[in-house]
Amino acid sequence: MAAVATVSSAGGILAMLHEPAEELKLHALASLNSVVHLFYPEISTSIPTIESLYEDEEFDQRQLAALVVSKVFYYLGELNDALLYALGAGPLFDVSEDSDYAHALLAKALDEYASFKTRASKATEEEENVDPRLEAIVERMLEKCVLDGKYQQAMGALSYCINLSHQYVSHREYRCEVLRCLVKIYQTLPHPDFLSICQCLMFLGEPETVANILDTLISGSKDDALLAYQIAFDLVENENQAFLLNVRNRLDSQTPGQSNPDSGSALPVDQTVNAGTTSTEPAGDVQMGDDTTTANGNAHPVDPNEAAHADKLAKLKGILSGEKSIQLTLQFLYSHNRSDLLILKTIKQAVEMRNSVCHSATICSNAIMHAGTTVDTFLRENLEWLSRATNWAKFSATAGLGVIHRGHLQQGRALMAPYLPQSGAVGGGSPYSEGGALYALGLIHANHGEGIKQFLRESLRNTSAEVIQHGACLGLGLASLGTADEEVFEDIKNVLYTDSAVAGEAAGIGMGLLMVGTASEKAAEMLAYAHDTQHEKIIRGLALGIALTVYGREEEADTLIEQMTRDQDPILRYGGMYALALAYRGTANNKAIHQLLHFAVSDVSDDVRRTAVMGLGFVLYNEPEQTPRIVSLLSESYNPHVRYGAALAVGISCAGTGLSDAISLLEPLTSDVVDFVRQGALIAMAMVMIQTNESFDSRVGTFRRQLEKIILDKHEDTMSKMGAILASGILDAGGRNVTIKLLSRNKHDKLTAVIGLAVFTQFWYWYPLLYFISLAFSPTAIIGLNSNLEVPKFEFLSHAKPSLFEYPKPTTQQTTTSAVKLPTAILSTYAKAKSRAKKDAESKAANQEKTTEDASGSTSGEAAKTQEKDGDAMQVDGAAEKKAPEPEPAFQILANPARVVPAQEKFIKFIEGSRYVPVRPAPCGFILLRDTQPSEAEELVLTDAPATVATGAGNNAAAAAAGQGSAAMAVDDEPQPPQPFEYSA
Amino acid sequence: MDPKLVEVTQLIDRFKAAFKASNFDVCSTLLSQLKVLLTKFPSLPPVFQQTPNAVEELKLAREIYEQAVILSVKMEDQDAFERDFCQLKPYYMDTCGIIPPSSEEYPIMGANLLRLLVQNRIAEFHTELELLPAKALDNAYIKHGVELEQSFMEGAYNRVLSARQTAPHETYIYFMDLLVKTVRDEIAGCSEKGYDYLSINDAKQMFKFSSDKELQQYIAEVN
Repeated sequence: MAAVATVSSAGGILAMLHEPAEELKLHALASLNSVVHLFYPEISTSIPTIESLYEDEEFDQRQLAALVVSKVFYYLGELNDALLYALGAGPLFDVSEDSDYAHALLAKALDEYASFKTRASKATEEEENVDPRLEAIVERMLEKCVLDGKYQQAMGALSYCINLSHQYVSHREYRCEVLRCLVKIYQTLPHPDFLSICQCLMFLGEPETVANILDTLISGSKDDALLAYQIAFDLVENENQAFLLNVRNRLDSQTPGQSNPDSGSALPVDQTVNAGTTSTEPAGDVQMGDDTTTANGNAHPVDPNEAAHADKLAKLKGILSGEKSIQLTLQFLYSHNRSDLLILKTIKQAVEMRNSVCHSATICSNAIMHAGTTVDTFLRENLEWLSRATNWAKFSATAGLGVIHRGHLQQGRALMAPYLPQSGAVGGGSPYSEGGALYALGLIHANHGEGIKQFLRESLRNTSAEVIQHGACLGLGLASLGTADEEVFEDIKNVLYTDSAVAGEAAGIGMGLLMVGTASEKAAEMLAYAHDTQHEKIIRGLALGIALTVYGREEEADTLIEQMTRDQDPILRYGGMYALALAYRGTANNKAIHQLLHFAVSDVSDDVRRTAVMGLGFVLYNEPEQTPRIVSLLSESYNPHVRYGAALAVGISCAGTGLSDAISLLEPLTSDVVDFVRQGALIAMAMVMIQTNESFDSRVGTFRRQLEKIILDKHEDTMSKMGAILASGILDAGGRNVTIKLLSRNKHDKLTAVIGLAVFTQFWYWYPLLYFISLAFSPTAIIGLNSNLEVPKFEFLSHAKPSLFEYPKPTTQQTTTSAVKLPTAILSTYAKAKSRAKKDAESKAANQEKTTEDASGSTSGEAAKTQEKDGDAMQVDGAAEKKAPEPEPAFQILANPARVVPAQEKFIKFIEGSRYVPVRPAPCGFILLRDTQPSEAEELVLTDAPATVATGAGNNAAAAAAGQGSAAMAVDDEPQPPQPFEYSA
Repeated sequence: MDPKLVEVTQLIDRFKAAFKASNFDVCSTLLSQLKVLLTKFPSLPPVFQQTPNAVEELKLAREIYEQAVILSVKMEDQDAFERDFCQLKPYYMDTCGIIPPSSEEYPIMGANLLRLLVQNRIAEFHTELELLPAKALDNAYIKHGVELEQSFMEGAYNRVLSARQTAPHETYIYFMDLLVKTVRDEIAGCSEKGYDYLSINDAKQMFKFSSDKELQQYIAEVN
């Protein structure tokens, strides 16, 4: 037998259809059914014949005929007809068939079914008759899923449903309904997936149920408690402050032994107490729950069960308040800080003293680079240089401290104390630094401002200086983000009604921050005032504020959006663009995209057009791959504002992805003819490339060199220079340990981050708002925790070449002056080996550091630095002897807590058979670990964090415990606050 | 030997006997039985499964369909001809040398060309021609059809009418008769427009009728 024969035409089979004998017709149909994908063009001419077979009541294989016709229609692209006949095919239409035809038609059937149902739900009076056959198909498919689907698959399907409902169910109401259904389904399962349930419930806004679940879990076994902690961490990640507050309050009310927490201070969880002690007996842990319980005189019952429960509850609330995760993050960012001071030094030297824009930008860049690390070495080394910041620059500089100390909740106020307005003492400091300090407090406490709110309100009421009011309004808005607190709102409103341009602008934004996502009636009030006032600044602040209030409300916001986008005032239309972008944030909603694109090309105001394009970035951040394609035409627009918007849109939606398309789109824009477009493109590029290193994408290296060139170039425009300075800051943000993430792991939007970026983009008008970008940073770390919420020794695997994800090489000789030239110059080829060796040595050194570093504060930062330098020098010698670089290993073992960049997450494997088993397999963020050998003593990772100084009477016990238990741990390397700036006037 | 094959072979023999005896009714019943039996053979198109008996089966099936085509001519059933021919075609076109070419291939192809000509389906006629290999055009059977078509198009009706005598195969006679009818219709249509009147003799010559009676009969048919 020679070659395999194939038919070249279906003519023969079609002819057979006309045969008088039934069997032949049947045979022909069956043959057609098998070759329809090849010969549908031929068969399509004979469709009437086959149809007549289907309609022939006496023909006993009508369904087969229908199936063939359906397939032909499918291939012809007539999906409606195809579906009609597929329904006619009845059971012959195989829902499990793995072919394009079956997939397409199933999807079509489901669509059809869904649209029938939605129509039916909309107009209930005129009952739509759903084709029973259609229902049969849907039912059959579900049945099949249930039959085939083993347990996990069913669960998988459910979580898939959740994702789907977020991505595709465009109608918000309906989505809520779907989620409610899912929760019900989850709850009926024998082993409910509480993690997913709680995610759903959070979306639905049902704190009560979440509190119930958590309460049940912590009353259960130790493993259940771990799960509860994990849920709490996951909920915190979504940054919904109002919701978390509610859950916390419900938890309180459910536990009879405890009264409501005293106002103001949330539970202070002191890590130094338990970090050192490995004992797990309840007596040792009671300290965790200190203040609230003891202060209220509710002596703990002796019952150990009760005590354990109370202890767990306290921990849980500690997590829910966000303090635990903030604290761990702070420790992580501090201990892993890898920022490169040389870059800053270069910038500082290159920037002209008199150019205040670049000067401010440098300070801001420093703040961003050290965001959340508490490392302010650079500032303290350059106090004199810093003092050149005057007026609003001083405001910004002071606010920058807030970014550096972000999350330093306990110490925040003490840190800022020298700058804060002293009550009673009039004319103590400059209003600019005082205002900046209040703003800084807001940044430190962003979204966790229970403790600081009162102070900020008082400061706001006690001042009439508009600069201080400005800072206080921003600070208050940040601290009580999304809480919709009536009293705070009134306070800020009073400032607004003073009709002072500077204070009013901040008041508008502050009100928006306070009311984020509440869609409250207040928006109308704000809109009315925006029409009344003459000050453009106030209108702009209010416009943004109104936009913030409709955050995430989707269709609900349509009326307001309509109202704003039709306004005569371009500033309000501009606010309307923000409203549109924020209401539909991360939904990729077609209608919103359509509207934004419409405004991007048709509005008469450049500001509106720019914002409309930028808004696309917010709408599309859940599908970053789409953005470059959608804005690519706009990025070639003749209008520089539109180009700028396109650059930022890509920057926002592709932030932290390192997406190749995005980089390709931005690259030409970084050398645009218009200076501000270059600025936007540089910033956007930095946002996209954050935490991507050169070995991952070579263009990162090119970009870094480009930034350096722009900064050093004397003739470069100020605007693009500023962009380059900021971009260097963003590129290495947070000690190179943070990324910009707008979606949490569960695909929920991170409210703080999105809001942060939205306000950040306002820097176009007002530079101090640059600092809002720090809200969008989230640490890229895996931090494993045991049941005591301590960090145990734990290792896991990263299945990728270490060089792919390692820190960028520290800059060396080119950036330093020739005098400092080290012999390292020739070593650049061995940098990889070097940095690896350095890492090892550093972890050793880190241990030493802890013991050597003393509590004597002020020099400690410098000490750390010199040590690092020594370390460096040592490595140099070591590496110099190594002539041949060894081949790079294909994997890497990481120790808890570790830096894991988002792109690396898929390579993370937990080592089987290790002592700790993660509660949740997803390898990122905080992971609760189940101890498989609880009887053995746990080895903890010593955290060299900026330890909290035990202050206040309530912590006496803690201090005592620290004193006796863990001398090594109670390291206080808290940097002293820098000296106040020298005021010029 | 495979029992199915045996059964089919026996049926074919009976069919051939009946065919020789011109017992066409028996033939067609046998034929439809045969066709149903053929559906059980997996090696036939469109599946072309490679079974050990594939060659035998294909050959048999081809023979059956060839017989079916010839039978349809005998029974003067054009629809059946088309149907059977379509089913036969894959055996000629797509077997890729699994079975040796049949001696009946070109006569039947030629007959099909004639049929298309008779039914005035000129487009399909040319499609069929295009599908044939170049050397097939030299084949007497095919050439016959091609030349007829050319004459027909040129309007050289007398050549068409005289070609009946040179038909290369007995089955062609049937189609030639039909063709004559087609041509006469054409002539009639033209002369209706072209002449106010026409003498019987001229008409007889023009329509190639041998007697007045035949002409009268034709006139009666047309009107």
